[in-house]
Amino acid sequence: MNSGAPPLSGPPKPQAKALNCPACGTSITLRSFGQAETVVCGSCHSILDAKDPNLAILQKFEQATRDVRPLIPLGTRGKLRGTDYEVIGFQRRKTTVDEITFYWHEYLLFNPYKGFRYLSEYNGHWNDISICKQLPLVEGTFSAAPGSGANYLGEQYKHFQTCAASTDFVLGEFPWQVRVGESASVTDYVHPPRVLSSEELNKEVTWSIGEYLYGREIWEAFRLPDSPPEAQGVYENQPSPVGIDLKNLWLTFAGFAVFLVVLMVGFDVISKKEPVLHETYQLNRADTRGEVSFVTDVFELTGRTSNVKVKTYSPVNNHWIYVNYALINHDTGEAWDFGREVSYYQGYDSDGSWSEGKQNDEVVIPSVPAGHYYFRIEPEADPTLPGIPYTPYTVDVRRDVPVAGIYGIAFIILLVPPLIISLRSYSFERTRWEESDHPPTPILQPSSSEDDS
Amino acid sequence: MFRKLYLAYGLFVLGTAGFAQFRGWSLDRINQLKNVPKSVRDNPGSYRSVYSGYHHYTGGK
Repeated sequence: MNSGAPPLSGPPKPQAKALNCPACGTSITLRSFGQAETVVCGSCHSILDAKDPNLAILQKFEQATRDVRPLIPLGTRGKLRGTDYEVIGFQRRKTTVDEITFYWHEYLLFNPYKGFRYLSEYNGHWNDISICKQLPLVEGTFSAAPGSGANYLGEQYKHFQTCAASTDFVLGEFPWQVRVGESASVTDYVHPPRVLSSEELNKEVTWSIGEYLYGREIWEAFRLPDSPPEAQGVYENQPSPVGIDLKNLWLTFAGFAVFLVVLMVGFDVISKKEPVLHETYQLNRADTRGEVSFVTDVFELTGRTSNVKVKTYSPVNNHWIYVNYALINHDTGEAWDFGREVSYYQGYDSDGSWSEGKQNDEVVIPSVPAGHYYFRIEPEADPTLPGIPYTPYTVDVRRDVPVAGIYGIAFIILLVPPLIISLRSYSFERTRWEESDHPPTPILQPSSSEDDS
Repeated sequence: MFRKLYLAYGLFVLGTAGFAQFRGWSLDRINQLKNVPKSVRDNPGSYRSVYSGYHHYTGGK
């Protein structure tokens, strides 16, 4: 007895049966205690009738496939999902699509009290498979019609693919009459992480349900050395790494967006938008020698620390005016210094009429405490401009105004996580379904001229 | 788990947006100075804005 292997649970303790291969004489151990229909000699690859006391030879297959090695050796015992199992059979199966042959491996697990279950492996993707306890309801066309599906135990499965699968290598024991070269029609329906499969052979349909497993879970269950082969690509029932209910996520985002609108409307209502200064001045462009800067009367900013909006308007036409502002606290000497340009150009050319710029400008000074303030204003304009030498401009100052940009930025920041996750999920699902009978429409369609050439 | 994180993240963003509006934050860049002399009020020319001499666009199309 292998002392390193975990014992199978529950009395009485069944005993494995030892026989010899009638073809090569090699010792064969039957582990499924009379439940096997066929057993394969690991030495000469004869498929033997396990029900026959003399192990009659049913089939011998090519030994060219001897290099096929199960990742979990036959006889390995482990505890999978709380139940002890022993690996008693292994088969390699294949299907050919568009002249490309795909291979996958199936391991037969046995527990004398629980019966059989299966592990399948394709490119590092594993599935824990068992026979369905009740017949699934198939919707739509049975085979590969788009939109067809199946319902099992109240769960909806989408048709993924239908293919002809054949066995090309077997090892160990099987509770059915296994044959190399035997072909069955296999249809898979998916609802990640589960896959519902029907296998039709000689007009007999067997339904099985599989659940995706990660290689490391198998390695831990069977205490296998090294590490499992890395999973390649996306498998049909592989759970999305995003693992998030996108509908809920977008609903949460919608809730935030509504709250943001409420916040914006609320602040718009409670903002004082208090007029502080509204004056119109004239800039004499012809006066190039005198000091053009001046100060306004002192005004009071009241209430909590809040912003101040300065709006500059000037009826310039194909002209500009630039105003240097300094909002100065009369008591502390603290100042907010900035310059604003108002420019507006328009005309007519071969493309039609055009215009550029605006006759007004707005700026919001952030977080100005209450206090007594005045503005120092220093306007500039082009002194060489012909015509009336005066450029009028109006300065309008308001205290505590709503800033729409804050909500715009908040909206974008709220949008980023669901957008990134949705794109990741879309990309993953697209890759998944590219391998199905219903591949997604290519994003870039080849042009007909390329097809013709 | 992620939904809870996103909930916390969203509430933080909304809270920050509300706080920003309440405290009068702005998206405009304004140069802030300390200790501007009181003489500016009597002699505005004694103060020169850091934005004086700004190169203006004089073209149009």
